[in-house]
Amino acid sequence: MTLALTLFTLIAISLGAIFFLAGTVGLLRFPDTLTRLHALTKADNLGLGLIVLGLLPQVDWPVGGLKLIAVWLVVLLAGATVGQLMAKAARSDAWNGSTDLEPPR
Amino acid sequence: MERISTQNAVEMGPPLPPAPSPTLPRKGGGGDRLLPARFALARGIAFYGCWLLLADPRLPVTTELLADLAVGVPAAVAATWSSLHLLPPTVGRMRYGALARLIWRLLSQSVVSGVDVARRALSPRLSLQPGYLTYPTRLPPGPGRAVFGALTSLMPGTLPVGTDAAGRLIYHCLDVTQPVAESLAIDEMLLLRVLGEDDGHR
Repeated sequence: MTLALTLFTLIAISLGAIFFLAGTVGLLRFPDTLTRLHALTKADNLGLGLIVLGLLPQVDWPVGGLKLIAVWLVVLLAGATVGQLMAKAARSDAWNGSTDLEPPR
Repeated sequence: MERISTQNAVEMGPPLPPAPSPTLPRKGGGGDRLLPARFALARGIAFYGCWLLLADPRLPVTTELLADLAVGVPAAVAATWSSLHLLPPTVGRMRYGALARLIWRLLSQSVVSGVDVARRALSPRLSLQPGYLTYPTRLPPGPGRAVFGALTSLMPGTLPVGTDAAGRLIYHCLDVTQPVAESLAIDEMLLLRVLGEDDGHR
């Protein structure tokens, strides 16, 4: 049972690290500020979620576990909010040059 | 949108300026006074609970522990005070069944979202079709719309960047060939149901 939990932790944390890596690769490769924001907010959200999930069996309950979940929620909230603010700040230059605003479908 | 963003920014901000003692935003007359007090108390307890969770003070009881616990009180009071100002209590019932569905959608779509962006970032030739989309939301400006913005910024391929002159939300999309508007409509419907504002259409 302990072995299974340890394996679970290893797998979840490795997957989480992969998503952090992918988010960073996106940050470097994507062409402009807005697409980079997509990469960071979304990949890191999932990456941190997986790392928290992987650590849950290894900490003492309930305080340690709830604290990890709280940290994830705070990061989620901060990412969702700050992402929008940065997008709004970055928009002005990208906005004027873009094609019109009609939905594509 | 201006107002909403600022509101969020303040709400998210680092620990707030020195705590003023009153916890009630404004004093109503007579019978009105009890309800705000209950809201304030409930929120204060919740904030103090969060503080306890993060600070994680350890037993046994010593003077240091008591000092630690005391530090959290002004923090909780300040948080309560600012929360009552930024998000005044409203009398409305949240629907928990709908909330559970919304949370499930958020979690499952977070996975889709992360995998989607990771796949695009790691693919040898970047598969991006970035562009803008406007979405005429049925959510009134205010907290509901702010929640919608935060929620959809975590959904696959969408990032709200503001509102246009007609009050429609503007989204930046990673791939405009995806059915983004349909997905947003589902999120909106779920959120409206949570807030109890769904009129049953759609």
